[in-house]
Amino acid sequence: MNVTLHIARRELAALFVSPTGYLVIGVFAFITSAFFLLTLQPGSAAEMRNVYTIVVWLLVFLAPAISMRSVAEELSSGTIELLLTAPVSDTQIIVGKWLGALGFYAAMLATLLLHILVLTLFAEPDFGPIVTGLLGLLLIGGLYLAIGVFISTLTDSQLVAFLLTTLVTGLLAIGVFLLAGWNALPLWLRDTLFYLNITDHFSDFAKGLIDATNLIYFLSTTALFLFLGVLLLGSRRWR
Amino acid sequence: MITASQLTKWYGPTLALDGVGFAIEPGQIVGFLGPNGAGKSTAMRILTGFLPPTAGTASINGHDILNNPDDARAAIGYLPEGTPLYPEMRVEEFLHFRGRLMGMTRPDRVRRIDTLVDRCGLQPVRRRVIRALSKGNRQRVGLAQALLHEPPVLILDEPTAGLDPNQITAVRDLIAELRGKHTVLLSTHILPEVEKTADRVIIIAGGRLVADDTPTELRRQVAEGSRVIVEAKTEPAELESLLRQVPAIESASAQSLGGWSRAAATPKGLADVRADIGKLLADKQITVREISRESASLEQFFVQITDRAARARAEQAAAEPSAA
Repeated sequence: MNVTLHIARRELAALFVSPTGYLVIGVFAFITSAFFLLTLQPGSAAEMRNVYTIVVWLLVFLAPAISMRSVAEELSSGTIELLLTAPVSDTQIIVGKWLGALGFYAAMLATLLLHILVLTLFAEPDFGPIVTGLLGLLLIGGLYLAIGVFISTLTDSQLVAFLLTTLVTGLLAIGVFLLAGWNALPLWLRDTLFYLNITDHFSDFAKGLIDATNLIYFLSTTALFLFLGVLLLGSRRWR
Repeated sequence: MITASQLTKWYGPTLALDGVGFAIEPGQIVGFLGPNGAGKSTAMRILTGFLPPTAGTASINGHDILNNPDDARAAIGYLPEGTPLYPEMRVEEFLHFRGRLMGMTRPDRVRRIDTLVDRCGLQPVRRRVIRALSKGNRQRVGLAQALLHEPPVLILDEPTAGLDPNQITAVRDLIAELRGKHTVLLSTHILPEVEKTADRVIIIAGGRLVADDTPTELRRQVAEGSRVIVEAKTEPAELESLLRQVPAIESASAQSLGGWSRAAATPKGLADVRADIGKLLADKQITVREISRESASLEQFFVQITDRAARARAEQAAAEPSAA
């Protein structure tokens, strides 16, 4: 466990000194703040739901930008050789990489606390949906980053990792929803596709609901991709 | 300390390593030589557990690399080819990170890092970002990293590649200091370096082990049968014909050199023809200013032996054209 945290810490530090890291946080803070200000009208509800919706869409691009470097950079620079020849397990490496990325993402989400502070200063917002919404965002991010770390293990090109991950996150955010509406597909497939749709699972969180099925959806898919990442890294060892 | 037996590695259809085996005693410094693509890095990557062998096995400090990989890895300090480091980290920060991965406690890390920063000459740059370091300093960081957890075995893949002569000397001295304390396997292209530091030289070419001996013994083997240089006060044509009279000389050629003639004579087999030549020229009362064997370096041996290995492989390939 300790080694996992050391890897996570290095990952987090590397993200914080990288230009990509700053760019991601900058873009995130700029767009969410602009949206927050635009929707902050006299008489409108003191809620974060609109901002959260925008965050869900932003994550399709920003989460892959955070996770793309995780393993791909080690593969291209050769540092993977130092990592894999240390007495460290594949699980420790993948989970450490993911935790580091998740920490960075949490710091990015923390910029939203400023908006919440503004709301509490000028109105009396309902904290229920605000907190569950944040939890939902954290879960979506966790899933996207797990997908991203997995894909980053596939390639030594960060660009390829970014594009492939965006493809998958884009599918989960909207693609499967569109596909589920396609009549030509068998019903069971349409149901499955509809179930995979992330926005649907998030909407309960945005309303202030923590539903076990949604929790299971996020936690199981995240665990699945982390597991796939561990397998893939292991297979690299054996190639 | 390091034993490898029948190590074989196929990359798809390419045979990179073909049944290489050796045993290295504790405290030895062993030079691992071979032309590019000979399989040096592949062999080292197998020993460090980065790559699995297709066949064969190896053990480090008694731990089998396949059955007991964590213990084997913990016993190794490894400097991969090209010294990959995290460019955004500071030198000291990076060493602490490596120490943590190796499971070292904080007091241990602080003590070792202080020692190694001194020993590897990293004092002036210990707080610098690795990205900003010179190639030489990066190499030192790589070495410090490998030595950090006081591993019994050090595997260094081209520790002097890309360094200038002064830096090479510094790294070589550093490695020489490790004698007796660590078992060192280092690969290199630069032969003089191995001649000076290594107790033993293992040469591989085309994925096969082609020589395994002390540098002195290998040099002796090259010296035998190497050409003899003669400089004498006579005409080149005369010197040539005189030399050809010596029964043990295969061929000779001479040219004039400012009033003197300089000839190179190739002996038959491994014969030492210097005494014969000296006697002959003395009998003819010709003034001689030099009779010497061409300086035998491992370099020549290396070229000879790797050529021989390449030829053997080509012949074998020609003999069994449909083997693939």
